[in-house]
Amino acid sequence: MASKFQSWWQGVRYRGGGPMITWMLHRIGGLAMVVFVGMHVFASFLTQQFGSGLGTTLNLIYQSPYFQAPLYFFVIFHALNGLRIILLDTFPKLLEYQRELIWLQWIVFIPIYGLAVFFILAQIVSGE
Amino acid sequence: MEVKVKILRFNPEADKRPHYQTFCVDAEPTDRVLDLLEKIKGYQDGSLAFRRSCAHGICGSDAMRINGMNRLACKTLVKDLGRGTIVVEPLLGLPLIKDLIVDMDPFFEHYESVMPYLVNDEPPPLKERLQSPEERARFDDTTKCILCAACTTACPSFWSNGRYVGPAAIVNAHRFIFDSRDRAAAERLRILSNQFGVYRCHTIFNCTLACPREIQITKAIGEVKKAIATGSLE
Repeated sequence: MASKFQSWWQGVRYRGGGPMITWMLHRIGGLAMVVFVGMHVFASFLTQQFGSGLGTTLNLIYQSPYFQAPLYFFVIFHALNGLRIILLDTFPKLLEYQRELIWLQWIVFIPIYGLAVFFILAQIVSGE
Repeated sequence: MEVKVKILRFNPEADKRPHYQTFCVDAEPTDRVLDLLEKIKGYQDGSLAFRRSCAHGICGSDAMRINGMNRLACKTLVKDLGRGTIVVEPLLGLPLIKDLIVDMDPFFEHYESVMPYLVNDEPPPLKERLQSPEERARFDDTTKCILCAACTTACPSFWSNGRYVGPAAIVNAHRFIFDSRDRAAAERLRILSNQFGVYRCHTIFNCTLACPREIQITKAIGEVKKAIATGSLE
């Protein structure tokens, strides 16, 4: 009898290269946004309804630069990657240049994320 | 030169889980991975199971994961795999039967579901159904498919849901959808627009990179998506 052999780890180990990495980052970005929005809603609920200290703690976590820096990375990447996919789906002829489009995506991503990191660092330095 | 070949083994009659076994094989840099597997089966362990038929990249029998990526064993040279151990594993996403052999039935069921044959009930002309070179060129790329399943089993969407028709089925649907002699494009587009059709493709590109025939698979899927969205085959 056939035995189904498949595991999450085997899939992650597949060497899809750059395009597969962008897809994985896109998925992680989606999860990161769900976690952020979930925390935000939950923290607001706790603070507003119960004046809970847990809500304040959650606020402090997602407002910290250590949480915001990776969050901005994934959110900005998710948005730009989504735009790339929309472009490719709308104009299938561009699919021949998908590698160039991934490079273009990184070229756009780096200054935008750099700006976000700059503001996060400025916030830390100013002590706000 | 001596090459180490690490193979994921599985004997359904003896093993609960697959395990790796490493073999040392004398090989030339110009040997193919299929040659190494033949040497192992012929001289070291006759119980090793793998598919092969033409051994020249046409039949598509020997698709497997070689160093983490789907390739044909008969088209992959030792010298192109670097100096380290060569890791050979079965295709992902299909039920494992034994060693490097997977059950291809689900793959061919998806293939059959898209009507991969010419449909035209109009009375045939005296000689043949003529087609211009431009009309033929429209689907030339997708005629090259050898049904090796390297694309479908490289697709994370297929790994996560085996009901997705997969890249190979869409490629073979594309071959007839854009054929000027065919009359069933609308029916195929209807089949591919369901929840397990083309929209399961997330433009990951693993299929295009894995294809041993270098078919622009993601582009073909994109063209089918656009045909469904616009209702036009232009």
